[in-house]
Formats: sequence, C-alpha cells, structure tokens
Amino acid sequence: MTDQPLVKASLLMATMVVLVVLGAEIMIRAHGVTPCFDEGPPLWSNSRAQVYGDSERMVVFIGSSRIKFDLNIALWEQLTGTKAVQLAIEGGNPRPALYDLANDPDFKGCLVVDVTEGIFFDNDHGRGGFKRSVKYYHDQTPAQKVSFWLNRPLESALVILDEENFSLNACLNALEIPSRPGVFMMPVFPLDFSRASFNRETRMTDRFVSDTSLQERQKAIWAFFDKEPPKPLRSTELDSIFSSVKEAVDKIQSRGGKVVFVRTPSTDPMYSDEMKLYPREKYWDRLLKETNCTGIHFKDYPAISNFKCPELSHLSPKDAQTFTRHFAGLLETEAHWKFPNTKL
Amino acid sequence: MVFNSYTFFAFFAAVLLMHNLPFSWRVKKVNLLLASYVFYAAWNPPFILLLWLSTVIDFFVGRALYNQENPHKKKLLLVVSLIGNLGMLCFFKYGTFFLDNFVLLVNALGMDFHPAKPNIILPAGISFYTFTTLCYTIDMYEKKSEPVKSMLDFSLFVTFFPHLVAGPIVRPPQLVPQFETPRSATTKQMMDGLLLLNQSLGYVAIHVRICLRSQSHVDNHSAYKNWRGGHGHGHCTVDRATTRY
Repeated sequence: MTDQPLVKASLLMATMVVLVVLGAEIMIRAHGVTPCFDEGPPLWSNSRAQVYGDSERMVVFIGSSRIKFDLNIALWEQLTGTKAVQLAIEGGNPRPALYDLANDPDFKGCLVVDVTEGIFFDNDHGRGGFKRSVKYYHDQTPAQKVSFWLNRPLESALVILDEENFSLNACLNALEIPSRPGVFMMPVFPLDFSRASFNRETRMTDRFVSDTSLQERQKAIWAFFDKEPPKPLRSTELDSIFSSVKEAVDKIQSRGGKVVFVRTPSTDPMYSDEMKLYPREKYWDRLLKETNCTGIHFKDYPAISNFKCPELSHLSPKDAQTFTRHFAGLLETEAHWKFPNTKL
Repeated sequence: MVFNSYTFFAFFAAVLLMHNLPFSWRVKKVNLLLASYVFYAAWNPPFILLLWLSTVIDFFVGRALYNQENPHKKKLLLVVSLIGNLGMLCFFKYGTFFLDNFVLLVNALGMDFHPAKPNIILPAGISFYTFTTLCYTIDMYEKKSEPVKSMLDFSLFVTFFPHLVAGPIVRPPQLVPQFETPRSATTKQMMDGLLLLNQSLGYVAIHVRICLRSQSHVDNHSAYKNWRGGHGHGHCTVDRATTRY
C-alpha cells in the first residue's frame, strides 16, 4: 500500500466521522433534547470534593432521586446564600455516603439526608451507586481527574455524549429487543423523563410534564418495580441500621456538623403503598428518635404536603421551586439553621 | 492512564508533537522517558519509586553480571536480582493471598491468629516491568546480549509507555537498538500506527461493549432488586456499570 491512498482514506474517514457526529447531534437537538451530564462516579466525586470549606455557607445533600428532582439548586443558593452540594444518587441508598462523611474528620458541615424508606432501609441492595462512587472518590487517579475536566466542555456542548441515552448500549436497550426466556430485561425510561446538569440537579423536561402518556409510561415502570415487594427486614437488621446511622450522625455532630432528615414528597397511590410497607412510626419516627435529629416530613407541613407528582414519585420543576422555598424556610424554623441570607 | 480515555488522547497528542519538534535524538529520548513517567504517575504517583528502584538495581546488576567472571559471584548477583524483582512482585501481587493462606493454615493448626488486613494496592503493570527487567538480567547472566550502555536507554527500555502497563514483555535486543540511533517514522508508519490504534479503540468501543451486554443482564437483575420499594432513575446506574469497560 502506498502512502497516498492511506492519507486519502484517513481524510475520508475523518470527514465521515465529523458528518455522522454532526448529523446525529443536529437530529437529536431537533427533537428538543438538551445536553445532559453523565452522573457516574466521576461527577459525583467532583461534588464530593466540594464538601469542605466554610460550613456556614454550604449544605450537603445526600439521598436518592427525589431530592435531586425536588431541590432547585439555583433558587436554594439565591434564597439561603449557601452553596448546595448535591450528592444524592438515583436509586442509591445514601447510607454509605453518610458513613463516608461521618468518617471524614474534615467534614464539619450541614447535611440533609433524603429518606426514601424502601431504599434507605434496605440492608443488601440499592447501595451499589453510592458504594461505587465513594470508592471511586477515594481511589481516583490523576488521569481520571484530567479525563473528567477534559470531558466537561465536551459533555456541555454535545448532546450525543449523553451516555445514559445515546451510548451504544443505551441505543440497543432502547430497541427493546425481546431477550431469551428467563432473562431479566430492565425497562427503558422515557428519554424525556429528565435531564441532569453539572451540579447534579435533575429536572423533568417540559415535554414530560405536559405529556400524560409519558407520565403513564413512567408510572408503569414504577409499578413494574413494585411487582416484587421487598422482604421485610428482621428486627435485628433494622436495629443494626438505626445503630449505624446514629453512630454516623453522632460523629458528624461531635465535630460541630448538623444533620437533618427529610422525607420528600410522593403522591398517592405510591405514598400510601410506601406507608403500608414502611409504616411511619416504625421507620421515620424511630429514625428521628434514635438519632435525636430534626426531621422534615412533607406530610407535616400543609405548604408542601399536597404536591401532585407527575409520575407519583418526583416533583415537576415548578413544584420543585415551591418545595425548595418552603424547605429552606423550614430548616430555619424547625431545625434552627441560620443562613447568611435572611430573605426566607 | 487507560488508552481509551480523554487523558490519553491529550497525552498522546502532546508526545507526538514533542517528538516531531527539531530536538536532538537525546532530547527526544529524554522527552519520551519523562512522558512515560507522567503516563505511569497519572495512575498513582508514589509507585513511580518502585519503577525507579527496579530500573536502577537491574541496570547495575545486569552490567555486573555480564562482566563478572567468578561463577559464584555471578550466581549471587543473579539471586540478588531475582529476590529483588520477584520479592517485590510477590509482595504486591500475592501478599494478601499468601497471608490469607498462612492464616488459614495456622488457624487449622489450632492457633488463634488474626492479623490486620494488609490493604495492599497492586501497582499497575508491575508484572510487565518486573519480567522485562528480569529478562534483561537473565540475558546478561547468559551473555545473550550486550549490556545497555546508557542509563537513559535502559530506563526508556523499561519504562517506554506503549508496553509499560499492558505488555508485551520485551527483550533488550528487540527494543534497545531502536533507542541507540535516531529514528523517525515515515508517513506510512505513522498512518499505519494510527490505523491500528483506531482499530483497537473500535474493538473496545463496539465489540467488547456488545459482548458485555450479557453481563449487563445480570447487573440489570441486581439493579432491579435495588428498585424494589424505591423509585428513581434506575437504568442509568445499570448502563454505567456496563459501559464503563
């Protein structure tokens, strides 16, 4: 092979790659899809590294998906004058992150723990995301950090780099090709359900909020997950969870940190189903009693008790603003947290 | 630094640029050596000390082995090199394994021995560079090739980033002569190299990921269990778990 044809072939290949990428980018954007950040361990680690500094001007949030949808970070920061560090993970049990922060002698800040009972009080499953992210944060190599910062401008600019929706596997999943009998197939969430930003806030898209068929599809996915109810924890397992959570909370408080638990909104019939499986007195009330912490349960405050979650489990962006406003106020009145801004 | 990462793309572009600037061959080799150290340190900087230790010991032991005529002293030098290299490899790679088995054995004999977990981190590529340096000392022992004259060439032979963490294990005559005289890649060599690089990346991006889809079904089932009783954005966790490879 001579040099010339190889150069020509390379140029042709480069042109084709650019055209295909640009074509796909234009096509996806024409459908109204905006850039979204991959919320894997690198992005989580970037947020995790921000929990230090002036504890009076920062609040850290851990939990599952609800607090990610329900907290409007820009509004929070404007209202309170504090930075919100969002460490919640979709579907993740936040206890490993709680233990990690508790065991970090340099963390002395304010912590909000979002409790979704089915995930928080799970002894075995649901921890995967947090465990992996906590490990990644502590083991992160210089090369991974550089890759993260090189990736950031690319992910900000190109929708096609949305790994969750447009990676090869995501596209293959979206085809929903029936698998062999007996092989479990994970349901595919609607593309328009949500988008994640660099600060790890997640928002439902306008299309999802206005399209009831998408909402019904998402409700059907939640129903699919609920088909197999969890095995109830033995009392010794539950005791062990309460004990380890109390120990972690005590560690943070002994360093001058503050901890508040929050039960973010869900809508019936999901809420009533959750309460059947995880009765408030047995789980939420006991959590507050054992840890001696303030807890904000959405049902206790009329201003935030009657939201209608479009798919039963998470707030729309508009309701998230209302929730954020009231939640910040409740932290001042109920937990006696003092924020630099007094506009609440 | 893994090859299919943005960091490696930036690193490789910088190395390629530096290597094609009008520097002397010696400066180019120093550039390549420094780049190789950066490549290795990008994973875990302190372990670069092990690489230096291995390089320095085997450079001098190798030369001494080649020049030593006394068979007893020669054997002693070989043993020093073997203990140094294999000892380091055993400690990092098999330390936990040996300790676990030792604990099992003494417990089986009725002794109550429970040492603290050693938490040993495995340095990337330790097998490759250990066997590369061992190849050199054994070659010197058997006088199969000449000792490397310069420390710079030997360091580059051990550390050259394309083979450092993923092999193959190279023998001195395969690589060292290429460092001794100035080399420059022709356009065809450059294009062929980039073609191979592209092919490999394509293999990782497409073939491996599709193969791993069978694994993703297992992960999916675990993720499904995660979601019992809790709600959120489950599929992203699953996809990330599999597409990170």
